[in-house]
Parts: sequence; C-alpha cells; structure tokens
Amino acid sequence: MLRLWPLRQISRLQNAISLTQQACNKSSVPAPSPELVEVFVDDKQVFVEPGTTVLQACAAAGVEIPRFCYHDRLSIAGNCRMCLVEVERSAKPVASCAMPVMKGMKVKTDSPVTRKAREGVMEFLLVNHPLDCPICDQGGECDLQDQSMAFGSDRSRFTDNAFTGKRAVEDKNIGPLIKTIMTRCIHCTRCIRFASEIAGVEDLGTSGRGTEMQVGTYVEKMFKSEMSGNVIDLCPVGALTSKPYAFTARPWENRRIESVDVMDAVGSNIVVCMRSNEVMRILPRLNEDINEEWISDKTRFAYDGLKRQRLTTPFVRSGTGELVPADWESAFVKIAERVNATDGDLIAGVAGGQVDAEALIALKDMLNRLGSESVCTEEKFPMTNSGIDFRSNYIMNTTISGIEESDLILLVGTNPRLEAPLVNARIRKTWINSDLCVTVLGAPVDLSYDYQYLGDSFELLTDILNDKHPLAKGLKEASKPMIILGSAVLQGENSGAILDTVKSLSEKLRAGSEQEDWKVFNVLHTQANQVGALDLGYAPGVDAMKGSKPSVLFLLGADAGTVKREDLYENALVVYIGHHGDYGAQIADVVLPAAAYTEKDAVYVNTEGRAQIGRQAVSPPGMARQDWKIIRALSEMLGVTLPYDKLSDVRARLGEVSPTFNHAGQVEDAGFFNLSDSATVPRKESRPAVQPLSPALLSLRDFYMTDPISRASLTMAKCVQAVDDAEKNPYSKPEQS
Amino acid sequence: MLSAVCKSLVSSTARQLRAFHRPAAACSDKLFVHRDEPNNNSETPFEFSAENIKRSEVIIANYPKGHEAAACIPLLDLAQRQNDGWLPISAMHRVAEMLKMPRMRVYEVATFYTMFNREPVGKYFVQICTTTPCMLGGVGSDVILEAIKENLGIGVGHTTDDNMFTLAEVECLGACVNAPMVQINDDYYEDLTVDDMHRILNDIKAGKKPKAGPQSGQNFRFASEPKTGLTSLTEPPTGPGFGVRADL
Amino acid sequence: MASAVVRLAGRLRSCARLVNTRPMSSATSAAGSTEAALDTVEPEHKDITITVDEKMDISSFTGVPDEHIKTRTVRIFVPAANAMQSGTFNPRRWRMEFDERQRWENPLMGWSSTGDPLSNTEVNFMSKEDAIAFCEKNGWDWFIEAEKKPTPKRKSYGANFSWDKRTRRSTK
Repeated sequence: MLRLWPLRQISRLQNAISLTQQACNKSSVPAPSPELVEVFVDDKQVFVEPGTTVLQACAAAGVEIPRFCYHDRLSIAGNCRMCLVEVERSAKPVASCAMPVMKGMKVKTDSPVTRKAREGVMEFLLVNHPLDCPICDQGGECDLQDQSMAFGSDRSRFTDNAFTGKRAVEDKNIGPLIKTIMTRCIHCTRCIRFASEIAGVEDLGTSGRGTEMQVGTYVEKMFKSEMSGNVIDLCPVGALTSKPYAFTARPWENRRIESVDVMDAVGSNIVVCMRSNEVMRILPRLNEDINEEWISDKTRFAYDGLKRQRLTTPFVRSGTGELVPADWESAFVKIAERVNATDGDLIAGVAGGQVDAEALIALKDMLNRLGSESVCTEEKFPMTNSGIDFRSNYIMNTTISGIEESDLILLVGTNPRLEAPLVNARIRKTWINSDLCVTVLGAPVDLSYDYQYLGDSFELLTDILNDKHPLAKGLKEASKPMIILGSAVLQGENSGAILDTVKSLSEKLRAGSEQEDWKVFNVLHTQANQVGALDLGYAPGVDAMKGSKPSVLFLLGADAGTVKREDLYENALVVYIGHHGDYGAQIADVVLPAAAYTEKDAVYVNTEGRAQIGRQAVSPPGMARQDWKIIRALSEMLGVTLPYDKLSDVRARLGEVSPTFNHAGQVEDAGFFNLSDSATVPRKESRPAVQPLSPALLSLRDFYMTDPISRASLTMAKCVQAVDDAEKNPYSKPEQS
Repeated sequence: MLSAVCKSLVSSTARQLRAFHRPAAACSDKLFVHRDEPNNNSETPFEFSAENIKRSEVIIANYPKGHEAAACIPLLDLAQRQNDGWLPISAMHRVAEMLKMPRMRVYEVATFYTMFNREPVGKYFVQICTTTPCMLGGVGSDVILEAIKENLGIGVGHTTDDNMFTLAEVECLGACVNAPMVQINDDYYEDLTVDDMHRILNDIKAGKKPKAGPQSGQNFRFASEPKTGLTSLTEPPTGPGFGVRADL
Repeated sequence: MASAVVRLAGRLRSCARLVNTRPMSSATSAAGSTEAALDTVEPEHKDITITVDEKMDISSFTGVPDEHIKTRTVRIFVPAANAMQSGTFNPRRWRMEFDERQRWENPLMGWSSTGDPLSNTEVNFMSKEDAIAFCEKNGWDWFIEAEKKPTPKRKSYGANFSWDKRTRRSTK
C-alpha cells in the first residue's frame, strides 16, 4: 500500500516540489530547540526529546529493554509485549516500544511488576515454541533463548507431556536462501515489516488468526527481493534461518572477522564468520554511512563461490596449448624470459573491478618501472573534457547518507535496486520519510518506490539542460537535488556526451543552489574498487591499450571479457593474476593464483570515494598468495624490485599516490569543483544519436551473477533458477500497482 | 493363569502403544495456506457482474481517496455473494486489483475473517452456533446439531452430495437470548427445537422459504421478549402529554 | 600507561574480566611481569613515584620474539554487535586484534590449527587511548577503526496510521 498513494503521485511533480520548497524554506528559519523532557529510568534522570519512546529513553539511560517485535529500523508494531515496563501511576504495565515519554515519567525497568510481566509474556511465548534448540540453527544467537534465560521463569508449568496442544505450523518454501521452520515463529512480524518497508516487496503477511495465525506468503511463492536475506538476521527466533548455512556451524565456533564487501561498489560492511579456514557465512555490520545494518543477498550468500573454481596453483600454457600446473618459480621464469625481451611500451596491464588497491598500486609501480604507462581498468569512463582529472567527476559526491537530505533525485541510466541495493534502500527510506521525488531517465524498472519515468532517450537529458523539459524547473526549485548517473551507460559509444551533459546540468544546479556545499553530481559505480583504480591513476577502459597491441599483458583479476587475444600482438604473453578460473584465466598463458577478498588485508574505495579496509579471514587456498605479494615477488624476478616488503609499506605508498587512502573509513572530500566546472565545456553542437540510457541490470535474474565469485556460487545459481521458476508461477507475477 | 498372562500382555502392549507422534491439535477445520485445486486456482474465472461493479464503485466512493483499501471487506463480501457463497483466490486477486492493494494484504483479510469461505460451500450454508449460551439455552445446540446431521446426512464441515447444504459449527452469532439458533445463508432461525430444525431443512429441500426468526420453541415469540410473556410495558404506549401538568 | 587482562582463549576464560585502567602509579597488572616492578611501590613512598612522560617501549624485554613485534599490525576497534541479535553487550568496549596468519584444519580432530601464538589474543580496553598506549608499549604497529554507532531516530507508533504520509503502514 505504501506505494499506492494517488495523493502523492509524482505526476504532480511540480506541486510536490513547490511544497517541499516551502517546507524547506520554513525549516531554514532556525526552529527553537525542542524542550527536552525529563524522564526517570530506575530513578536515574535522563533528558530526551519529546516524542521519544520509553524504550529509547531507557536506552539513553543505559538500560536495555528486552524486545522481540521492536527493531530500530522498522516501524513500531507493539505486538510481542516483551518490552512491558512498569510506569509509576499507570494502572497496567506499559509497552515501552510504542509509548511516548511524558514529563516526569518514572519508569521502573526492574520492579517486581515488570519482571512478572516479562515472565508471563515469556511463558506464553514458550507454550507454543518447540523445544528444538539442539537442532535449531539460531541456537547460541537466539533472542528467545537469551531472553528466556534472563527474564523467563526458572521452572515450567507446561504439563502437557503428551504434546497434544503445541501449535505446529507447516513450513513454507520462499526460495533458495531462506529456510523456514514456521513452528518456531513467535509472530513478531519483523520479517513482514522488513519486506513491506525496507525491501518494498509486499509478499509476506499473516494469514488466519488467533492460534491459527501463520506468517508466510499464503500462496506458495518465492520471496523475490534482492535483500531478502536480512530477514534471517531480523528473525529473533529460528523460524527464518539461512538455507546455505543450515547445520554447518554454531555461532560460538565461528571466528568473526570484520571486513568489507566487494560484490558491488557500495562497500557494505560485513562480518565474515570463519571456521577452520573456511568462510561459513557472511553477516552485515553496522555502518550508518553506508549499509546501515543490511546487506544484499549477493553479499550475504555468494561466499560459497569462494570455494569453487578456485585457482590453487600456478599454471603455464604448454606447447600443445593446455594449461599445465606449475610451480611459482617456473611460472615466474616464463614471464621473466618474455618480459626481459620485450620493450616497455609493449607491456600493458588491465585490472578488474574487484582488485584491491594494494595490488593495483603494485602492478602499476611494477609496469612503470618496466617502462610501461599502459595500465587500465576494464570498466570504462569517458575521458572527454576533464574526464577523470578531477575526482569529483567520478565519485558519488553527496555520499550515500546524503541521500537522506535530498528532496529530488534524478536517476540517469541506473537501476540502483540491482546495481547497489543499499543505495536503493536508502532512497526508499528517504522516500518514505520525506517528500522526496524520484525521476528516472533509463528503464522503467521496479525500484520499490514510485517515480516519474521520463523516458530513455539522450535528447531528454539535453532538453532538461536547456530548460525545455518541465523537470528543469523542478530541479531548479529543489533545494537539494541529486543526479545519480549509472556507470553502466558510460560503457557504450559516445558516452562522453552523456557524462558532459549530466555534468553541465549538475554544475548549473550547483551554481544556482543556495546550499553552499551541496554537490549535485553523483556517479554510481558497479565495480567494488573502480574508484580506487581511478584514484591510483589507472586509465579507464581498454581501448587505448588495445590500440598499442601489447605483446605482454597482465590481467589483474580482469574477468569481464573486455580483452580478447585478437586485440593483442600475435603470440602475446598473457599473465592472469586472480582467484577464479573465469574468463581471464582461460585466455592466459601464465596463471598466477591470488587471493579473494576474504583472504587478504586490502583497501577498497567505494563509489563515494570512501577507502575501507577489508580484513583477511582465511588463508588463500593451496599455493595461492596475496596479489600484491605475487607482484612484489615477480618484480624481483623482472629486476625491478618494488620498494615495499610489508603491508604497511604498501599502504604508505598508497597514501603517497592519493590522500584517499590515508583516512580509511572516511570520505575524502573531492574539491576543485569550480575548477572542474571551468574545465567542463557544455557542448553546443548537435550530438550524434546516443543509444538509450538503459542500465545493464534490468531484472532480478541479472542481479545474482555479476562477477567471478558469484558466477562460481552454487547458491547464486539456485537463485537464478528460482527466479526462472517464479516466472512460471502465476502467484509470482508482478502485481499491477 | 492364562487370563492373567493375557492381561499382562494386553497391558504391556498397551503401554508400548504410546503415541510416538501425534499431530498437533487443530483449532480450525480450515487451511490457512492456499493450495491450488481444480476449482480454486489463479486461473479460476471470476469477474464482477456489471451490477456489482457499480455497487463496488459506490462502496469505494465511501472512502477517501488514497484509502481505497478500506473497501476490502465489503468488496470481498460482494465477490463472495456473487460467487455462490465462497471466495476463489482469483476473486481475491480481482479485489486487490480493484483496490490497488498488494495481494497479500487481501489474503490477510480474507483469511482473518471466518465469514469468508475460501472453499466451495453448498447452496445453503448452515452455520450452527455451539457457544455456551446456545449449548445451554432452550433444548441446547447439541440436539439441534444432531438433528441437522441426521437430516442432511453429513458431518460438520461437510457438504451434501447434491451441493445443497454445507454444515459448519461456529462461535457466537449474537442471538444468545434466542438460543439455540442456526444461520442459513443470511437468515437466522432462532428458538429452535428438533422438530423445527427438521421442518426448516425439509422446507428448504422442498424449495420453500421457511420464515426466519424465532420458531416454535418459545411459542413463536416476536423477538427476544421473555418466554412467559411481557412483564412490563404491557399496556399500549401513552400519547404525548402524558403526565404533564394540566395547566401546561 | 595502561593495563589490561590478556585473555588467552579457553585458558584464562574463567578469570577473564575487564580491568579498569588506572594511572600508572597505581596500575595493576595481570599479564606482564614488567609492570610489577613499577607497581610494587610501597604506599609510604608513593609521593616520590616518578612518572616518566616519554614513550615507553617494553618490547625489548617482554620476551616476545622479534618476529611478532616487528611484523605485526594491530587493529584497534569496537567489536560489531551481532546482527542476528538485539543485544548491545558486544560493542561496549575497545578491542585489539592482530593481523590474521595462516590457519589450517588439523587432520587429527578437524580443529583449526595455527602457528601464530598471538592469534588467540583477545584484549579489551575501556578506551582507545588505553589500547594505543598498550600497543605502543609493546612495539606493535596499530591503526584505529572508528567506532560505528547507530544514530537513534525518533519513532512514533502513530506514524503507522498517518493520514497522508508515506509512513502509513499497510501491515499493522
């Protein structure tokens, strides 16, 4: 229902924008700071804003109230009653999650009344909860387990030993990711609220009532969402657990390593759970600036791709054209023989999107020492006008959390729902909580919120720039407009025209804006470390490299298939350094096995330009080694020894090249906006027709397999299969809205 | 001796025959998940009649713009009446479409309210109240239920072979003063005796329409007045000016 | 400048507890032997305790092999709360961890083995300053990962029922 508001139809864009404008004007007058309300929690005085709930006030006082249905990022349901507390002069215990504070309220969180209320709620919950903790995957990290220990009764009054009365509910099949054991469900409805509010998929609900109530989909269908896995975390009991992780490990056996994800350019913060040198599962980690506490399904479930199709030993192509396992030395010797006989100009390097900054700088330094300047990324970026000379041209300048301040977003050629699910979740969050208007130039895909679809032709963009389109007025009137340009549309021919137009439009809006430091222009990348590669001086796109017909080519995790043997000098030597036997390894003459993202301490720069440190969780398999160490060792063989021996030396070198790497976790502000403006010359002459501004990923099916790791993942393959099956399921058809 | 052995054998067998597994007690004879049936699936044809479309427009117009979902219950009811007293899943889909609601939200409503039948029922849907007042009042609902079972030859939750009658046991229908009672389609039959029940069912079978309301069981009373006749307000109502001072 | 309880997994778990860090003059140490000398100042001589403000480095006499001082990097961080649970006990303190070294599955029992003596070290601190001081003292390189806190958002049950806002919920 959330997205069915005719009142709020964005077709009335102009009205909405002028309304927002008024609202913004009002808010620009400094409002008197709201008087804080004094509340006593267990006789401890705290001051909170009016409208705060009792539960939040207790949290401010450092008292944690037990809860099942309440979650910080979901709407308040108030149906589990576990958060009951005694409030002085209140006849009954109060559900603290829904109750707003009142002046002088005296909350007692540990009084006999409170404790009795919790004990009672706990007892009722346990009456219909199976005693299957020993075979339950939630065991050890179960809120119900912990809270029954802490707040439940120490003895049972359950005498139905013949088990005639325990409720039993049929399990549901909602896809290959989420395992359901619905008898364990305590009806907190967190999963339903997540689906409806965060994911924007109204598939889950309750059917029946009273003791017959069930949480599920009523009809059998897949929970089709790109971030469905989060309901596993949300479920306070073991009703929803991870299918791939089922029965594989217990939480106390796992070692938790805090790392960073590379499946998209968002750089979600993750926790890698590891046991005996194997990644058991991946969980999200709180970071308000990036992923809040969600992660996408690809981030969460693609880890089994780390165990398949891995390169565990060096390979050298034999005379008969087969890749034969070799040792490191012979592989290095083979490379050295060729490189030493080759002119520096004929050596080139191509880096893929998931390569870490350490490996990137090592490869670049090595090739530079060999006399080559030809290092590039697989992903393209137009080099017209100021191109990548200014950092502000290729990062998401407003940052992800900046979306929440915006009042108008124009998406150009991007489908954030699949390219960066967490950016989309942030847009949806903003859309729900404010009067944000979203307009789309690209494909009319389901973004989980209402938007105004403008079309997919390049002319519309120039019309907006030249004030010929109604949206131009809306953009001008918006106080904090954002333009998000998808990197997918920059891959085609003539993409420079798109970039230039969007850039000019953004600069026009930025210059005309009253907001001093609001940056309008944003690029949404899809490759984890593309920004890092550009920061380090890699040239975007392989076209220039192909022009020079290199005779020795280093492919550093380059698996997108942008380079073919035909593009190279005849009998060129292709060296592949990477972790999966994907496209790059197939065309290579020498394959050097490297480490995947869970196997190395590495820095990645996300689309915001935020450098983040990923941590090593497990050791690389077999003879594989960390990328930068391979290149360091190779450089010694090639007689151009790189001057770093330790990770900290490499990091220091990274810091020398770009200040981005000096402040991990923070966004290095991209300055020189004015300069990059002056360098951007709006094109006046008529442009050749550009292909439609369509993003690359259009349906959920495309989302699951985008990189070597997810392509090797069995779970992701099952997801693709499930989406295909869902196409045939009449109940999974998209509903009209 | 032999009998003792037999006894011990029997008892030990009985002890070993403990239930290894028993299904949990069901509290409803309905399923709360959907299963495709030949006559109830997403392809089941359902379309509102032109008349009902008009009605639904009036119903939807009762609610403010943007809150059309409020018309969910009346529209489902309309669909059920049109479709011989039950709601196929395609009807729920149609209602969702008309109200621009997600389908799941309609399923939720249709499964929550027990008056929506999600599987086919007979032409006459006999609902007998067996809640405490009906169980105790008058001759008691137990004998009425037996009478219905005997007359129709079906059990609770079953439909007669000719698809004429479906029998359902329901909770309080709010006619406790006239207990026991049954509801057949939209009509309440109250103050029942076994004979009344047979008569009503036989009349219906014969194509007649029995008079709804209290039956002979409490001497054909009009509504819910006392069994022994009125004890107050027995005289005709006094006109205006009653008890007013003469000088006014 | 600080002291902490070194927790060796499985070994000292029962006696592991957080120790409040105090100024050095009254510091207690459960792990090091080196601080003991500083601690055994007689009460009556307390007033003559000399506090040296310059950087202290005890790495040369802790007995830790050089390899595990020179080549190790410490990450100082606040452990993330478990996403599976609502509890907030984990992110209450600062912790240090070393860079990961090779682990392998032990063929005998299938347990995880490592050749790294520092891999199971788990030291908690009340503040990051304490953690930094501890690392400096022991000669380890360190870096800090900023603490990530949730930003509380004002919420209201009434928003679920709002008349014309998108916060109105279809699931109530």
